[in-house]
Amino acid sequence: MRPIGFSTGALAYSDYSAGLSIIRSHNLRCVELSALREGELEPLVNNLEALDLQGFDYISFHVPSKLKNLSEQAMIELLQPVTLRNWPLIVHPDVIERFDRWAAFGNLLFIENMDKRKPVGRTARELAMFFERLPDASLCLDMGHVRQVDPTMSVALEILERFGHKLRQLHVSEVNTNSQHDALSFETVLAFQKISSSIPETIPVILESRVPPDKVDEEVLRCRDALPVLIAA
Amino acid sequence: MGLTLTNDPIEPLAEKWSLRIDEVREARERARSKRQEFKEICAKEKLLTQDTSVVVFGSLARDEYTVGSDADWTLLIDGEANSDHSRVARRISALIGSIFEAPNPTGAFGGMTFSHQLIHNIGGPDDTNANTTQRVLMLLESRSIHGLGDAAYGRVVRGILNRYVEQEISHLNQEHTTYKVPRFLLNDIVRFWRTMAVDFASKQWARGGQGWGIRNAKLRLSRKLIYISGLLTCFSCPLDGDLNSKIDSERDRALQLVNHLRQCVKNSPLEVLASFLLAYDTTGDASKLIFTAYNEFLGILNDVGKRQHLQDLRAEDSARDSLFLEIRRVSDAFQEGLDKFFFENHNILPLTKKYGVF
Repeated sequence: MRPIGFSTGALAYSDYSAGLSIIRSHNLRCVELSALREGELEPLVNNLEALDLQGFDYISFHVPSKLKNLSEQAMIELLQPVTLRNWPLIVHPDVIERFDRWAAFGNLLFIENMDKRKPVGRTARELAMFFERLPDASLCLDMGHVRQVDPTMSVALEILERFGHKLRQLHVSEVNTNSQHDALSFETVLAFQKISSSIPETIPVILESRVPPDKVDEEVLRCRDALPVLIAA
Repeated sequence: MGLTLTNDPIEPLAEKWSLRIDEVREARERARSKRQEFKEICAKEKLLTQDTSVVVFGSLARDEYTVGSDADWTLLIDGEANSDHSRVARRISALIGSIFEAPNPTGAFGGMTFSHQLIHNIGGPDDTNANTTQRVLMLLESRSIHGLGDAAYGRVVRGILNRYVEQEISHLNQEHTTYKVPRFLLNDIVRFWRTMAVDFASKQWARGGQGWGIRNAKLRLSRKLIYISGLLTCFSCPLDGDLNSKIDSERDRALQLVNHLRQCVKNSPLEVLASFLLAYDTTGDASKLIFTAYNEFLGILNDVGKRQHLQDLRAEDSARDSLFLEIRRVSDAFQEGLDKFFFENHNILPLTKKYGVF
């Protein structure tokens, strides 16, 4: 059975504690701590000691997707307590300015593919330049982003054919025309099913669907439907 | 020896058989330079968004741009409906007036194209002549002026290919040793070729014979080449080594086929043909006939006087016209090369027999 959890930011905007408690209440054992917005980073990092993370088998950390006030170097320094815990860092490739600053994270640096708004990191060819410069980095495949770039999912297959050996985490959600993360639709479930067989069962799945707490279980079931596990004959 | 789609098979083919391709080279350079100009014009005014692409067709897309070529283009829209798209198309039209001849006023170009009808209306009563033309040309001879990585254009091309592929019941031959020729796609390409030929007669009727000479020459060579490249793109499925090496993978075969076809159609029609000749024309006879003829054809089109002469030539005068007799000689040589390749080559003949006629 695939390990499935949620991003704190999807369930409780800018309130990781609330997000964590919703995730725990649904007996999910995977979580991504979200500091997607720059202002969320420092409070979250400063409070890591106090967070109750018992019961979670898999924890990752989403780095801010855009920097306005912080420098790249300052952000990396702020991430020290996260790296000491050996948690994977989910990074949008367009945040990376100097590759040498990120190289030290090794395979805990998870580069995420981008949605169609971004000029980089959308396809296998565009991701290749990041993995060439950061050869130890891993891949976080955002299924919603890649489906927005190409609803046939053939681009997703190209990414997996080329970088499947680096795949360590999935992001799953519907990504709408405004590039916002919504609950999975029937169309999206059909699309994701096409590449499910290319994704190992052990890869943690983090849902980014913005759903109310009472819809969490439903969304997890839809996710299992979208990513069925092959049963050996 | 197997098929490999390389980045530029024309130069290696020319080197292998000492082919004269000076006109081909120059036409490629002109097309690339013109597309760059077009791109800069659109970029300067930020006319495009993530949901739109300017797509060019015709000689500009095929890398066969000659003096007097026009710019067949459309604003491809794959996103939310917005009345401003029409203004953008008009703005593009106004801006490129300084570098291109106006496109054919009755053609399917120079305005807007919507992705939904291209992807959904394949066959059936809503698949108009214009829709079929744009769809098949989108696959076989189009380019986004943005180059690779252009999301709207790439998305739509993949969407069209996926429509053809996902309806096939099985993607492999009965023995499960190779991919099959995708028949739905093949049939649409064949239909498109016959439609072009019928439209030639229709335009002859509608325009009272005006422009007969040049349209006839194009039908014999460049339009036929589009069809040939479509046929070969379909034939590549059972022949391509890289694609067929993935047969035993658990990954989705339809998507693998879409990715293979997407790679094929990134090549110009002449490049597709050159890839096949490079792989399978072991004597060079077909390559020499085809490329020598096509090089001559582009040379004629690139001569302002000859092009105008063909433009003015009417059918009833063609039998005694020395330039048209030259076109006929060139096109006969081109056809002889194609006949050799499609009806004598032991790799291609079985596919021609199985898929090319009935």
